[in-house]
Amino acid sequence: MAKSLLLVDDSATMRKIILRTLRMAGLDIDSFEEAGDGNEALEKLKDKPVDIILCDINMPGMGGLEMVKEVRKMDSCADTKIVMISTESAEELIEGVLADGANGYVTKPFTPESIQENLSPFMN
Amino acid sequence: MITEICFEDVLLESAKEVFETMIYMSVEQCPDCITVEGETLLGSITFTGSIEGCMAICCDKDCAKTIACNMLAMEGDDGISQDEIRDAVGEIANMLLGSLKASLLKKNVGNLDVSIPCVVSGRELTSSLGEGSVEIIMPIYIDESVAELILQYRIAK
Repeated sequence: MAKSLLLVDDSATMRKIILRTLRMAGLDIDSFEEAGDGNEALEKLKDKPVDIILCDINMPGMGGLEMVKEVRKMDSCADTKIVMISTESAEELIEGVLADGANGYVTKPFTPESIQENLSPFMN
Repeated sequence: MITEICFEDVLLESAKEVFETMIYMSVEQCPDCITVEGETLLGSITFTGSIEGCMAICCDKDCAKTIACNMLAMEGDDGISQDEIRDAVGEIANMLLGSLKASLLKKNVGNLDVSIPCVVSGRELTSSLGEGSVEIIMPIYIDESVAELILQYRIAK
């Protein structure tokens, strides 16, 4: 079943790379929104909740860690899966954001295989 | 305990991982001491923790354009904007430091807090961390283009 997706990253280039990698991974995405930071993402989610959020951590404005906490306060996003995509790889940070409500974590640099492995549990 | 670290090796391995995994370009260390000249872009990112410093990649504008086109999977380079090129170089610096951080974590350096990447353009660009710092400048081939990886660090007080 096709899913809707919100991609949150301050780099437009990285957003394009992630979108290309999602296609290479063969994941079934039927609608796709973008945001440059957590604040913009929350505004978009108020209007239109999505199935999956892919989110960077280090961003100017509202970063990914704070955004996860805010999304988890939104009743309309109770079923939304959040997967972090970041260069951060410290175990404590990963465990912390998963405890705060993220559902998955992909480290950059990533491959189509690592994206598929982390997102496929949320595609059914 | 911090194990002995060869930063040159870690730097090169990080660059190989980033360019070969995400950008589909090869990276080799230049055997000669080649410098990047003319109009260049310098993408840098700073870090703090048990060690603090700055990591950067410096390349000429043609090399930066090629990297950006590969990142965006563009066939030609006519349609790419200067903003996209700068964004791509900044993201490279971000991923290089991410990969470097992951390697250093395995060597018990501890976590490093990182800044948002910054990109500047100009001629003869340099960055300095001041007294007591170590600087590694490593010329590399990215496919056929030359670039420099720069790592400056010092033990935090």
